[in-house]
Amino acid sequence: MIHNEMSRRRLLGLGLGLGAAASLTLAGCGGDDDAGPAAGNGGKDYTGPKVDLKLWNGFTGGDGDIFKTLVNQFNTEHQNIAVSVATYQWEDYYNKLPGAASSGNGPDIAVMHMDQLATFAARGVITELDDVAKTLELSEGDFAPTVWKGGLYNDKRYGIPLDMHPLGFYYNKSVMQKAGLDPNKPPTTREEYTAALTELKKSGVQGFWVSPFQFTGGMTFYSLLHQWGGSVFDAEAKNATFNSDQAVEACTWLTDMVKQGFSPANVGQDADYLAFKSGKNAFNWNGIWQINDLKKSSEIQWGVAPLPQIGSQQAAWANSHNFTIVKGRANDANKVSASKVFINWLSEHSLDWAKGGQVPARKTVREDAGFKALAEVNALAPELEYAAFPPAAPGLGEVMTTFYNSFNEAALGKKSPKQALDDGVAKANKQLEDNRKKYGS
Amino acid sequence: MADVIEVGAARGDAPPPAADPAGRGARANRTGRATPYLFLAPYLILFGVFGLLPIVLGLWLSVHQWDFQLPNRPFVGLDNYKDLFSSDSAVYGDWWQSVRATAIFTLFSVPLLVVLPLGLALLLNRSFPGRTFFRAVYFAPYVLGVAVIGLLWRFLLDANLGLVNRLAGLVGLPADTPWVTSTPWAWVSLVGVTVWWTSGFNAVIYLAGLQDIPQELYEAAKVDGATAWERFRHVTLPGLRPVMLFVITTTVLASANVFGQSFLITQGAPGTETRTVVWFIVEEGLRDNDAGRAAAMSIVFALMLAVVSIANFRLFRYRED
Amino acid sequence: MTTPTSDTRPAPRATTPTPAERPTTRAPGATLRRTGLYVVVVALALVFLAPLVWMVITSLKTYTAAQQIPPSWLPNPFSGYGYEQILNNTANPVLRWFLNSMVAATLHAFLVLVTASMAAYALARLQFRGRKVLFALIVGTLFIPPTSLIIPNFLIVDSLDWIDTLAVVIVPGAASAFGVFFLRQFFLSLPRELEEAATLDGASQWQIFWKVVLPLSKPALSTLAVLSFLTNWNDFLWPIFVLFSPEMLTLPPGLGLLQGSYVTDYPVIMAGAVLASVPVLILFVLAQRHIIQGVSRSGLKG
Repeated sequence: MIHNEMSRRRLLGLGLGLGAAASLTLAGCGGDDDAGPAAGNGGKDYTGPKVDLKLWNGFTGGDGDIFKTLVNQFNTEHQNIAVSVATYQWEDYYNKLPGAASSGNGPDIAVMHMDQLATFAARGVITELDDVAKTLELSEGDFAPTVWKGGLYNDKRYGIPLDMHPLGFYYNKSVMQKAGLDPNKPPTTREEYTAALTELKKSGVQGFWVSPFQFTGGMTFYSLLHQWGGSVFDAEAKNATFNSDQAVEACTWLTDMVKQGFSPANVGQDADYLAFKSGKNAFNWNGIWQINDLKKSSEIQWGVAPLPQIGSQQAAWANSHNFTIVKGRANDANKVSASKVFINWLSEHSLDWAKGGQVPARKTVREDAGFKALAEVNALAPELEYAAFPPAAPGLGEVMTTFYNSFNEAALGKKSPKQALDDGVAKANKQLEDNRKKYGS
Repeated sequence: MADVIEVGAARGDAPPPAADPAGRGARANRTGRATPYLFLAPYLILFGVFGLLPIVLGLWLSVHQWDFQLPNRPFVGLDNYKDLFSSDSAVYGDWWQSVRATAIFTLFSVPLLVVLPLGLALLLNRSFPGRTFFRAVYFAPYVLGVAVIGLLWRFLLDANLGLVNRLAGLVGLPADTPWVTSTPWAWVSLVGVTVWWTSGFNAVIYLAGLQDIPQELYEAAKVDGATAWERFRHVTLPGLRPVMLFVITTTVLASANVFGQSFLITQGAPGTETRTVVWFIVEEGLRDNDAGRAAAMSIVFALMLAVVSIANFRLFRYRED
Repeated sequence: MTTPTSDTRPAPRATTPTPAERPTTRAPGATLRRTGLYVVVVALALVFLAPLVWMVITSLKTYTAAQQIPPSWLPNPFSGYGYEQILNNTANPVLRWFLNSMVAATLHAFLVLVTASMAAYALARLQFRGRKVLFALIVGTLFIPPTSLIIPNFLIVDSLDWIDTLAVVIVPGAASAFGVFFLRQFFLSLPRELEEAATLDGASQWQIFWKVVLPLSKPALSTLAVLSFLTNWNDFLWPIFVLFSPEMLTLPPGLGLLQGSYVTDYPVIMAGAVLASVPVLILFVLAQRHIIQGVSRSGLKG
């Protein structure tokens, strides 16, 4: 087997010394894939010999069970393709994928967040999928444009979107009622929002806890910044722009929540959401994934709606799960074409996935009566139109961390919003420059 | 052979500049030349492959811009090192802030983790019914992984919802202390949790060390009319010296390696003030795919630790002169 | 120097192990001191135990009850939810993870004991060229944060083709200088009289090591065994990086998969922690017996 031969050579290299080991490792990393992107007929069908496919995802807990059921259904319907699923926690997953792929232990198919695609594409971990889109006649029209474009890097497609998960606006109906607010009319504008918070404050409730952490305060700020018309980066992701006047205004509006007594100071990780569930606050901007979690607690009266428009336009933080095909050390044309069949099949069957609490990326599925019946998830579907995804540039993960850390300093009152964001942008620009050098773009 | 314990402890402790000149004393005569190497062989094989080789590879990585799969992994000379010391690089600020965070944590946690466990060990070395139970109790927190204690304490220490502030409020103390989101409280929390978590670890090491002190020394001291304090000072402490050196060295290193606690409990907040060196290295190397830069950081960090530890060794030798 | 360490009298033969500083002869104050001792010991125990008790309480709550603010002091109702999610989990091979961890931690501890004790003996007691340099080199590797060596180590185990096997979580960690450093320090603090006597009797180094030094070092050896086992048992980052198949995982990365990605499932996490800590606590209590036995050194020929 190719794999064993490779290992023996590499072991030898280890014995010969460092240089040899290093160069052989280098050689072992999946640069050349002759099978390439053109393998198969782009996912229409697969008629070759039986293949085993490894799929990795980060769907732990309940999501993972739904996904596994779908995979089982696929396996029964396809006699010559056997997909096996391995699940890891997302953070670990991204850490271990490059090593796994380069050592030949990686998956054939990897589910990935949209904001990771560019990084993994630039690093040569995943392969192009343009032909899949072409053969299956998938186009922007079949998906929400925001999501569809997110799968591109350098004008080539690397991801087929499965779903979209935006930030939504959750409101606690019983708390609103107690404060004399109409529980069926959640605030939708800045004026309504402030008015509601004032009423809540009168009834002794700090209505909107501002978390200083990425989950959920950072994502809230990200949404507001876009609502004010700002952006985190310029269009080419060359410069960070999250210290613009709009960004500072958006950040100030949020941090003023504490000053005005609408939020306590020093909100801890998860505290905003736990307090929401316990009726200690009324409003929480949180991911669509909490719908299923809230359904577990029968005693809470709650609702979910698109984010209120606080700034000059609508916008919401969002991310999307995408299917990608991993370049193997020994790339096997059969595996690649079978993988494409799987991706297409699952994309078409994403209604069941929507039950896991995500908006399907595919239009036909979104227009299906079955999806319309999922009232809460469906309530957030309109956000697809104005979802704000980060630009497709490699290595953006660490820059986003800088962004969230700046907000953290502002939200905890360590720095003024202006100061925190200025400092953050200065650092982010250096990181972006480093990335350009590294990824050569 | 009067002071074998002391001399034995004093001799090899400081990393010596040169090899020991040919064997000293008659004891070596009976030993075949190969014997020491045979004793060493099994460990040295492991040590060579998984102890030294990774470091050599790390040195090699540190002069490259290295990523598992990036097609170009250029040799960059000392650039990764220079970045750590030039104030206009992207990592300079973060790097030195993480060094500062680690230094603060180490400075405050090490004295507590050296002294308190010694007290615990002395306590548990007494004979009383239930001793085994209490030993297990003090050791129990360390049985848990950092992921669990991190989540547990983050929940307990939450400023607005946590039990700690709730209890503080019940006894009339301020009930809104920001334990995990503001310094210096975040440091108090991190050090406190670590002391709670790992005291048992050092205590069992001390406890094992106490068993090595010959009982007759205590008897003799008592005959000489020594008080409990004098016995501690002149029997226990000298007898524990090699073990103590071990505990201090490994505790400094363990504290300097702090990662999980701040990653989970304070999450670096406020801003990145409590982000530690090892956390930053892991982030650079594994998340941001810059193994070369991460390797350079580890090496600079190791050199800093070496300076601290050598000072440590020296201190111990001086004490005995 | 007037410290009693200069005492060279042969060890008197003690019939029973006498714990150090046992307050035997002060009859009048004994009861009072005993009470004082208990007050201190129990008070400390409360500090150490309280968070753990909270952990057990949380593990017995339902998912929603565990998130309740303010939290209830006792689970109401008591719920097996957390434990059920783990023990009754059909989607994940939890029992297999447990066995993997058990095998890995046991073999790892064994490997450390064997290799480190031999090496430490040579470093503490035998004379050979380069001894000091070697010791300095070994201790020197402790300065490099182990987490920062994950990528180099990965390249090495990959070359050995060990990825996704248990060997990868058993062997590399045993190269740590911790065990050698630890045992060397203990061997140094052992009195040499017994070894000298054995040497005079014509024993070889191997016999001295096996029949004199190791039995004398039971406290240190069992302590090291527990600590090595535990380090391996709780290791998280490395296994994540090198184990890929679901059935090859060890317990810590495995338990992480049982809860969803977006919300903290406290009962499941805490139940997992309780289940994972029981074997280690049992091991600890068993090892304790050896730690106490160590004192009876004088039972040997002195």
